[in-house]
Amino acid sequence: MIGARSWVIAAIAAAGLWAGWHADLDPRALVPSAGGLQVAREFFARALSPALTYESTTAVPGASPLLVKALGAAHQTLLFAGAAVSLALAIGLPLGFLSSTVWWEGDPAGGEGRLTRVLRRTLAPLVYAFARTLATVMRSVHELLWAVIFLAAFGMSHLAAVVAIAVPFGGTFAKVFSELLDEAPRDTAAALRAAGASPLQVVVFGVLPRAQSDMTAYAFYRFECALRSSAVLGFFGYPTLGYYLAASFENLHYGEVWTYLYVLLLLIAAADWWSGTFRRSFAA
Amino acid sequence: MSGAEREREVRRLRRERPRRRFARFSGWALASLAVYCWLAGDFRLDLLDERRLANLRRFLGELVPYPLREGFDLRVAWEWTVGLLSQRGLEAAITTLAIAVAAICLAGLVASGLSLAAARNLTTPEAFLQDPVPPPRWVRGAGLGVVYATRALLVLLRSIPEYIWAFLLISVIGPSAWPAVLALAIHNAGILGKLGGEVVENLETRPLSALRALGATRSQIVVTAIFPMALSRFLLFFFYRWETCVREATVLGMLGIVSLGYWIQDARARTQYDTMIFLVALGVALVLVGDLLSAVARRVVRDA
Repeated sequence: MIGARSWVIAAIAAAGLWAGWHADLDPRALVPSAGGLQVAREFFARALSPALTYESTTAVPGASPLLVKALGAAHQTLLFAGAAVSLALAIGLPLGFLSSTVWWEGDPAGGEGRLTRVLRRTLAPLVYAFARTLATVMRSVHELLWAVIFLAAFGMSHLAAVVAIAVPFGGTFAKVFSELLDEAPRDTAAALRAAGASPLQVVVFGVLPRAQSDMTAYAFYRFECALRSSAVLGFFGYPTLGYYLAASFENLHYGEVWTYLYVLLLLIAAADWWSGTFRRSFAA
Repeated sequence: MSGAEREREVRRLRRERPRRRFARFSGWALASLAVYCWLAGDFRLDLLDERRLANLRRFLGELVPYPLREGFDLRVAWEWTVGLLSQRGLEAAITTLAIAVAAICLAGLVASGLSLAAARNLTTPEAFLQDPVPPPRWVRGAGLGVVYATRALLVLLRSIPEYIWAFLLISVIGPSAWPAVLALAIHNAGILGKLGGEVVENLETRPLSALRALGATRSQIVVTAIFPMALSRFLLFFFYRWETCVREATVLGMLGIVSLGYWIQDARARTQYDTMIFLVALGVALVLVGDLLSAVARRVVRDA
């Protein structure tokens, strides 16, 4: 008797083989050409000696030192990420609430009127379905694709870059928050309703607090993701870490590339540590 | 109870409520960070000035497929769609899917090994059971050293975004599908390794201790107990990460790898915005198909 899990593993293996064949993944192509090998050797030779000053011999007069520039880029990366996540939360919280069932299914606010009941049966499922569809479309387009679309639509604008990250992140927040709200225990809400609380009170004091810690922990994790996305936006001309990294790599200044990589690494490792400690402080 | 007494009691309960200092501090820090970012960043509300609005209007006009700009005709629309799909859309979509599948398979293989090394309860010299004679301190230190070295490696792998990994790898291995596959595999191995390590650490220890007491070696415990016990959870993470791989594989094409992103970038460079939006929509369809497949697979795993 072969279990379902064995079938899943067999299917994964078959899919992997098909993928390797279809994408033409010849292991021999992994051996770099002489030029590639040269690049790799020079690049990794600098791994342990990142540049502390500019490698360019023709220094631009008046330019700030490399480390100051790297920290400035990290600062910009942080600014884009923080603005994007806060905007995404502003989108994702209401959208997530609307795409959950807590506000309409199972008589959450105890509305007694005839009109309330009819509305709950007709309008509410429509709003719910619309919110879920909107969230799905928002998060199905990658933030870099949003950035490309906005670049074409508006031209270069820092705000457009922030919105480009905030749209898919808002959609993801909506999805995850709605699941957390749906899975949270409804005992407090039921007790409050029985005690005669208003719908708003039921939601604010009965529903939200039961899901709040998980929602905050998830927001932290997405902040870390936003830092990565914000760094990559630099490849599209925004002044975050990716911009300087790509420029240094193309000028063959590999030491500078490592400097930017290590700064990015530190930024993300710090966010990773913070969100991990935050989650553990709830688990304990 | 008098009113004043009750008031005092309420105040005492409020004072003695469980508080998590760190969580509270983090919440405030994050909120102030958000305010700071909006104040310090250069995010002027410049999206709606004259020039940009004109730009936006032109852009929206060009989203209409060009054979349909004179007037809508279903047959023409159909031919345009089929033409795009057969020229490059379908092939690019399938290649994108293949890149995502190959990458997650590689990542899963690498991560299953790394997650064992990252699990403290398995890598320590006294796995799951205390030895009658405790091992010397340096042996114990070496075990911890392996754990922390593995975890540092995992942080390194997952901290660098896929896009940057791919950018660096292209100039080393040249333009095939490999840079995209490797970039996705490296990043996701870091994530799956971390999550897998946590799965192993959170396993029920009694059966593992029993095996160890019977004299099983570490590799025997891994094969006979840890693998079957941890597999379901690991596969859930595996499929979740595959969903993101599909999204990312689309985008990595913008670096010059022949996935959907390549043609999206190409259409943008030629300012064929109708084609660009069509391919973005195709990417959305691909992501939705991926989500559906993953949801089915996760249900099978969960019910097994």
